[in-house]
Amino acid sequence: MRIGTAKFTYKHDEALFDSRTQYAWLLVLACSLVAFPFIANEYWLYLACLVMINIVSATGLNILTGYTGLVSLGQAAFMGIGAYAVAYMDNHFGTPVIFNLLIAGGITMLGGVVVGIPSLRVKGLYLAIATIAASMILHFIFANWGSVTGGTAGLTVAPPVLFGFSLDTSFLFYWMVVPVMVMMLLGAANLFRTRIGRAFIAIRDRDISAEVLGIPLLRYKLLSFGLSSFYAGVAGGLWAYFFRIVTPESFPLSMSIFFLTAIIVGGMGSTLGSILGAVFVTMIPEVLKLIVGWLPVSVDATLILSPVRTIVFGLLIIGFLIVEPLGLQEIWRRIRRFFHLWPFKS
Amino acid sequence: MKIKTMKNWLAGSVVASLLGVAGIAQANDKEIVIGGSIPMSGVFSFAGIGIHAGIQDYVKIINDSGGIEGYKLRYVPEDSGYKVDVSVAAFKKITSQNKVDFYYGDSTGFSKTINPELNRMNSILMSGASFATELNDPEKYPYQFLAGPDYTEMFSILLRYIAQEKPGAKVAFVYSDTEFGRDPIEASRKVAEELGLKVALELMTPPGSVDVSTEMAKMRRAKPDYTIFHGYILAPIPEFIEQARNMKLDTKFMGTFWTMDNSTVMQMGEVGDGFMGVMPYRYYYDESAPAPMLEKIREMRPEYQNVPYIQGFLSAMLYTESARRVLAEGKELTAENMKAALNTIKDFDTGGLIGVPITISGNSIPVGRIYQADASKGQMVPVSDWIVLE
Repeated sequence: MRIGTAKFTYKHDEALFDSRTQYAWLLVLACSLVAFPFIANEYWLYLACLVMINIVSATGLNILTGYTGLVSLGQAAFMGIGAYAVAYMDNHFGTPVIFNLLIAGGITMLGGVVVGIPSLRVKGLYLAIATIAASMILHFIFANWGSVTGGTAGLTVAPPVLFGFSLDTSFLFYWMVVPVMVMMLLGAANLFRTRIGRAFIAIRDRDISAEVLGIPLLRYKLLSFGLSSFYAGVAGGLWAYFFRIVTPESFPLSMSIFFLTAIIVGGMGSTLGSILGAVFVTMIPEVLKLIVGWLPVSVDATLILSPVRTIVFGLLIIGFLIVEPLGLQEIWRRIRRFFHLWPFKS
Repeated sequence: MKIKTMKNWLAGSVVASLLGVAGIAQANDKEIVIGGSIPMSGVFSFAGIGIHAGIQDYVKIINDSGGIEGYKLRYVPEDSGYKVDVSVAAFKKITSQNKVDFYYGDSTGFSKTINPELNRMNSILMSGASFATELNDPEKYPYQFLAGPDYTEMFSILLRYIAQEKPGAKVAFVYSDTEFGRDPIEASRKVAEELGLKVALELMTPPGSVDVSTEMAKMRRAKPDYTIFHGYILAPIPEFIEQARNMKLDTKFMGTFWTMDNSTVMQMGEVGDGFMGVMPYRYYYDESAPAPMLEKIREMRPEYQNVPYIQGFLSAMLYTESARRVLAEGKELTAENMKAALNTIKDFDTGGLIGVPITISGNSIPVGRIYQADASKGQMVPVSDWIVLE
C-alpha cells in the first residue's frame, strides 16, 4: 500500500485517482501530451496517432475479452464497420466529424450485439471461431455491397474538418485523437467502478455463479459485445479519417490477432494493460527498425536484417509472456509498488 | 548502485529518444533523394528484394558516372512488410529526415493513401509496385506514375494478341476476389467486345482458394480458347492448368505481370510449359536484341534478376530522367515540374529494358510483349512483337 494516503471517506476510497502523487504525474502526462506535437516530427506524430487509435481499439477488446472473458477475433472487422460508416457519412451527408464518430460507434455497437448472440451458447475457442466467421461475413459485405462500401476499391475519405481546421496532417489530427482517446480511456476505467463493469468481471470469473447472483447473462454479455464494438467503431472511424481510404483489405484477420496480442502482452482485464500493450505491439517493430538503422551496416544488411527483426519481435512477445504472464501492466505495477515505499525500502 | 544504473539507463534512453524525435537532418543541396517503402519482408518480399536491388543498382550506375547535372542520387529505403500503416510510417520517417524528391510505394492502398499528401507537398513524384488502373489518372493522381502498363492495359495487350492470333476467339477471365483481381475486369470486357472476342466465362475465386474443381466444370462447359488469370501470384493457377490438361481442354493459359516472373512460372513445373503472359520488360536473360542496360545489369549481377528488379531499375531510371530534364531547364525540382518533365519523355531509349522506345503521355507506359514459357530452356521466350497501345 502507498504510504501517506489514509482514506477517510468511501468516496475517496472509490476514487479513480487517489493520491496527490497520481495527480501530479497525470499533470506531467497531460503537459507531455500537449508539448509532444511541438517537439516531434511528422514521423513520430504519425506513430503517436496510430498508437492512440490502436489504444482505443485495444481498450474495447479488453472490455470484452479481458474483463468479460469472451474471446473475440472480430475486432478488426468491427473497426471496418466503423470505418465504412464514417466514410459513407462523410461522402454522402458531409456530417460533422464527432457526429460521424458517434454514429460509427453506434452502428458498430449494433453489429457487435448481433455478433455477440452466439456468446450465450459458446465460450472460449468456440466463440473465437464464431467471431472469425462473423468477420468473414462482414468482409464479404464490405467487398460486395458496392453501392455502400465501394466494393473492392473501397471508399476515400476527405480530411476531417474540426472547428474550421482541415486535419490533414498528423500534427493537426493529433489534437482530435488525443481527446477522443482520453475520453474513451476514462470511460473504460470508470465502467469498472459501476455495477455493469463488476457484472462483466463476475461473468468472466464464473458465469453460472454470476447468474445465480442475479446478473442476467443475456443482457450483460450482449452489452459487453456492444460496448467493445462501440470502441472498435470509434477506432475504425478514426482510422478512416487518418488513412483516408477504406477497403475490405484494410481490416484483415491478422489485425484482430494484433489487438488480441496487444491485450495479452499488455495485461488482460486492465485499462493500463490496453495502453501498454497497444504501445508495445505498435512501437516495437518501429523501434527495432530504428535500432537496425543506427547499426553501422550497409543498405544490403538492412535487407538481411528485415526478417530478423520480425523474429526478434516474435521472440520479445514470447519472452514477455514467459517472464510476466500478467502482462506489461504487472511490471508497471511492480515498479510503482517499489516507489510507493521509497525511500524507506529499496 | 541499482538506482544509479537505472538513472544512467534512463538518461541514455531520453537522449536517444530526443535524437530520434528531433530527427537527424541529412540535407545536402546537391543530391536527389529517392525514398522507398519497400516490402523487404512479408508476403511480397520476393518482389521487394528485387525492387530494392534494382533501384540500388541504378543509383550506383549514375553515381559512379558522376551523377546528373552535378547532383548525386541517394536512395533511402525502409522495409514496409507490405502493410499500409507500416508503409505510411516509413514514408513519414523518410520524408521527415530527408528532402525527398522521388518515392517508391509498395501497394495500391499506400499510393491511394499518400497521394493527397503528395498533392499538398508538391515536392515528390511517386511510382511503385502497383499497376492499378485507378492510379492511371493524371487528374486525380497528378504526381504518380506507373513504370509500365496498368492492369487494364495489360489485359488489352493480351486481348489484342489473341484477336490477332485467333480472330473471334472465346476468352475466359479468371480473377481473385480482391481489389487487385477485380481491377481490369469490367473495362476489359468492353475491350474484348471491341476486338471481336467473346468473353465466354468469368470466374472470381476467393483469395487463397486452391480447390478449383467446381470452377473447372464451368470452364469445361464454356470451352474458352484462351484463359487469362489475374490477381494471383501463383496459386491456384497450376491447379487450374493441371485439371484442364486432365480434362483434355484445349485452352491457352495466360497471366499478367506479377505471375510472369521466370521463377514463378517455372515453379509451376511441367504444367507451366507453354504458359503465356504479358511482360512490359525484357527478361534478364533476353539476348534477342541489343540491350546495353541489360548487359550492364548482367555484368553487375551475374545471377538471374527477377522482373521486379527490372521494374525497380526502370523506375529509378525514369526518376533520374525527369530530374535531369528539370535541372537542364534550370527549374526547381518540384513535383509539378518533375511530372511535366516525365511527360515530355518521347521515344526514349531505356537501354533495351523495354524493346521499343517509350513515350509517357499520362501516368503509364502502355507497352508490352507476349512471352511463353519454354520448360526445356527454363526460360520465357517472346512470341509476339512489342505491342504499344495508343
